Amino acid sequence: MKKIEVTLKNVVNVIREFYKPTKHHFLTLNGLAIDEQTTEIQWIFSEYAKTDEIIVFYVDVKEDDVIPSIVEIIPSAIISQREIVDMFGLKVEDSQSGLYLDEDSLAKPLSFGCAI
Amino acid sequence: MSKKTINIPLGSQHISLLEPIRFKFTCENETIVGIDSDVGFVHRGVEKACSSKFKFDAIPYVVARICGLCAITHSLSYTMAVESLLDGEVTQRAQYLRVLMVELDRIHSHMLCLSHVSENAGFEAMFMRIMGDRESVMDLQEALSGNRVQFDYVSIGGVNRDIQSDVASKVKETLSELRKKVEGYIEEFENNWSLSLRYKGIGALSKEEAYSYNAIGPLARASGIITDVRSESTALPYNDIGFEIVTKEDGDIYARNMVRLYEMLNSITMCENIIDSMPEGEIFTKLKGKPEGEIITRLEAPRGELMYYVKGSKKPILDRVRIKTPTFSSIPAFMHIFEGEEYANAPAILASFDPCMSCTAK
Repeated sequence: MKKIEVTLKNVVNVIREFYKPTKHHFLTLNGLAIDEQTTEIQWIFSEYAKTDEIIVFYVDVKEDDVIPSIVEIIPSAIISQREIVDMFGLKVEDSQSGLYLDEDSLAKPLSFGCAI
Repeated sequence: MSKKTINIPLGSQHISLLEPIRFKFTCENETIVGIDSDVGFVHRGVEKACSSKFKFDAIPYVVARICGLCAITHSLSYTMAVESLLDGEVTQRAQYLRVLMVELDRIHSHMLCLSHVSENAGFEAMFMRIMGDRESVMDLQEALSGNRVQFDYVSIGGVNRDIQSDVASKVKETLSELRKKVEGYIEEFENNWSLSLRYKGIGALSKEEAYSYNAIGPLARASGIITDVRSESTALPYNDIGFEIVTKEDGDIYARNMVRLYEMLNSITMCENIIDSMPEGEIFTKLKGKPEGEIITRLEAPRGELMYYVKGSKKPILDRVRIKTPTFSSIPAFMHIFEGEEYANAPAILASFDPCMSCTAK
């Protein structure tokens, strides 16, 4: 697994430059709660017909940050973006809540320290 | 004829769909022009439970409960991740037994899908024929693992049961019979008008669209994309047991049926090769320590790529277990395909995707 650090400002451009639809496969968007303030967001890719090749772009975000959308580049990313909104309570551009969780569900269950 | 716009819900409970997902179709006369979906009806918080309630060595048995159909791929994918973090080696015999179970799982999962596709074509006799034959594969799984579904077969370090010689003979005998039956299905799906002509050109996803929507599994291969985790990962011994990738070009329901049928034949061949060349040795290696670091593993489940991200910091409870299931990835492609189709085709198209909401909502 190859990890490449990006920033919220440049992530869309980095992915636009990197991603070739017939070469790369977008797996998903992943979140990892680091502490109360910080969540690591990962955009995970593999390469078609290449063995064990995983590329991860990542950035640390704060609660008030808005994560840019990559739907313009990868339309199928919308579902992963909506999952991040529900599970971590983060804001993702053009992505609404309510994919998994109902209004009366436990809010942002995968955020740091959320007890069940 | 004047255009009339109507909203039609499909699900969350629907006669043609035994899964709790709801689609809201906007139709102009009979044509679908818009679609929205709701997938969260059975969300159970498994990811949260895996990073808060359960110790890492209990999780193979927790994630096996995500899905009744592909329990083995969930527990194996997680187990492979932890084994890598523990820097542990698993014996070849255990790896072969794992692949045997994964491929049997694929066979009966594809049979379930094809039976529902037949049912949607109004061919109930075919539905019953396939479901009846599927029982023989479930029996094999029970003989190998002790359970028909949700088997706790895989554990960190190997598998929990060895294969006995009488069970090995039963596997070969049953699969030899099943091969003839699958060849019979192929003839039906190719030549019977209810299953072939009815489904050609319906619910098509072009190769370009499949790339654009990141299609995976049989959905991608039916559209001509050469992708299968079994050939893109060296974690399991697929290169040694006769794996062959199956692709078609048309991307319609018919092509998806054909991909699944020929994959079943290849899975039967692989299972037979595994029995014939089963390595000697132990089935379990005790691995010490606690997982440290982060890793991503992928496995080809019956519906496509299953991904696990695991992060640990030398504690019994992991920092994060992320599960990306095949149906979850495929939903945007589903929704794209529906647009422009006749509403009457929606149940058949949906059945041909073989969606699993139990996996998706996890």
